[in-house]
Amino acid sequence: MLVSRGSDLGLIIEAVETTRADRGGDDETADPLTVSDSSLSVAVSQRQAASGSPKIRRVNLPESKGGDVIEGLLLIGVLVAMFVGYNIGGSTTGPAFGPAVGAGTISKTVAAALMSICFFIGAWTIGRRVVDTLGRELVTNPNIFTLPASITVLFFIGLALFVGNVFGVPASTSMTAVGAIAGLGLASNALDWAVMGEIVTWWLVAPVIGFWLSAVIGRYFYAGLNKRVALVQSEGPLVTIDRSGLLPVVSFGPGTTKREMIGTTIVVSIGCIMAFSSGTSNVANAIAPLVGSGSLEMNTGIIIACVAVGIGAFTIARRTLDTLGNDITALPLTAAIVVATVSAILVISLSAIGIPASFVVIATMSIIGLGWGRATRTMRASRKSISDQAGDARVTVGSLAADTEGEELPDIGEEDPEDIPAAADLFNPSTTARVILMQNVVPLISTVGAYLVFRFVPVFGF
Amino acid sequence: MVSRVLVPMDDSEAAEAALRFALSTFPTAAVTVLHVVGGATSYMGEATSLAVADDVDAAAAERADPVFATARAIAGDDRELTTTVGLGSPAKAIITNAEGFDLIVIGSHSNTIASRLLLGNVAETVARDAPIPVTIVR
Repeated sequence: MLVSRGSDLGLIIEAVETTRADRGGDDETADPLTVSDSSLSVAVSQRQAASGSPKIRRVNLPESKGGDVIEGLLLIGVLVAMFVGYNIGGSTTGPAFGPAVGAGTISKTVAAALMSICFFIGAWTIGRRVVDTLGRELVTNPNIFTLPASITVLFFIGLALFVGNVFGVPASTSMTAVGAIAGLGLASNALDWAVMGEIVTWWLVAPVIGFWLSAVIGRYFYAGLNKRVALVQSEGPLVTIDRSGLLPVVSFGPGTTKREMIGTTIVVSIGCIMAFSSGTSNVANAIAPLVGSGSLEMNTGIIIACVAVGIGAFTIARRTLDTLGNDITALPLTAAIVVATVSAILVISLSAIGIPASFVVIATMSIIGLGWGRATRTMRASRKSISDQAGDARVTVGSLAADTEGEELPDIGEEDPEDIPAAADLFNPSTTARVILMQNVVPLISTVGAYLVFRFVPVFGF
Repeated sequence: MVSRVLVPMDDSEAAEAALRFALSTFPTAAVTVLHVVGGATSYMGEATSLAVADDVDAAAAERADPVFATARAIAGDDRELTTTVGLGSPAKAIITNAEGFDLIVIGSHSNTIASRLLLGNVAETVARDAPIPVTIVR
């Protein structure tokens, strides 16, 4: 017989031996080693009831050939789900904590720990709503998530992560997941178009909101924010802990200013919020098919995914934090903070209403909005009428500047127009369209690919 | 007669080959190296990190420095190079800057798949749309 590789191998072998011992000379009973898994569990439990033997501890024994296949498939499914989680941990830690680690505020180990904790909190509280949407609502019949189908869906999601990492073309894992599941739903005639329509609508609306929020910030508030955020790292540890008294007393380290402390706290908090938002929206990408099919229980699934994310955060994320090749981490600190905040808030809001959010697209549109808003700031210097209309905004920024220590802040529209030669050239609609189109290629391939695979590969039987 | 040559460069080997070709083929011509910064990247982070800078020109020049350093190393001490920084879409910036030159010498393609996907084939676009003759170097 085949040997199962479950972690409870000892128990299984013990149980198998018990079954054999039980069988004794009872030739009439079907040999449990040859029946299929589902009938096996029934047969064994019946026998147990009949003989009254309490020796068999496990009912659902993976000892027959069919049972082994199912167990093996579940094991593969969990491993693929963990692979997805591992990659999410690796790729999210960089954008979330890159600025904090880059500024020398926290170590990579602390970043990984914060990532794991915040991801888990996000996944446990809000993330399950997205798991429900993807695993149970997007398709009218969750039974289509057979183990082979679930593994295939997870394969497409893994492919998106792989392409993003290797070719440097980021693809939203959530969009890819929805695409693959939609492909499965289409092939088996079980796609809920109302849910799909709602998701796609939010995919269009959320990036537009992100663009305009960031554009307003870039145009009216960036200069002020930049002055406030300016993090000047001092020598020595950030805080010192005095353990001589009854209670340890935490005080600022030598040279740590109050402002630096606040800035540091902000940068780390924003990393935590991003990790939290990733947990709310990404946990579903790893486990939704397995939970939807009932192969995994929701809480078990979330814990498995979070462990995998943690492993990714503590291992490959060290490398991604090193290279800082990521476009988001390459942004100036203030810009990174604005983009992270706007994107994280949008992603968390969408997750809260059960919508899988496309972080990649939202973040990109937020980056473009911020840059475009900032690049167009001088238009008012040359166009007097608009300048007058924007008088209110000018007062707001002026009052911000009054609070700020240090340099005087030029009023909006009074920065030297020569400083910004053709910055608006950086953002033309065709470039933007091309970038966004690129980000949709992998989800599109996954949708079409999943449909073709599930429709025409006979194994799946749809 | 070719007396003013524009060589648009990125950080690819093809761009270096284009510069070598231009220098050796037109030994007496005045060569200008153009590097375009802030083009499309996967999250558009390049463009935005330039756009938010207080002094966009200085930020762009700083970004372009490594490419110009490579170009100067290739040209050596006995050949003078003029450098120009462009912003935004490479193909568009190259075509805009082509005025006043006799010839564009450009590398056939850049290094990374991502940049080819995001920017398209810059050499092809330039060859199609430029107002002056274009030589593509492999």
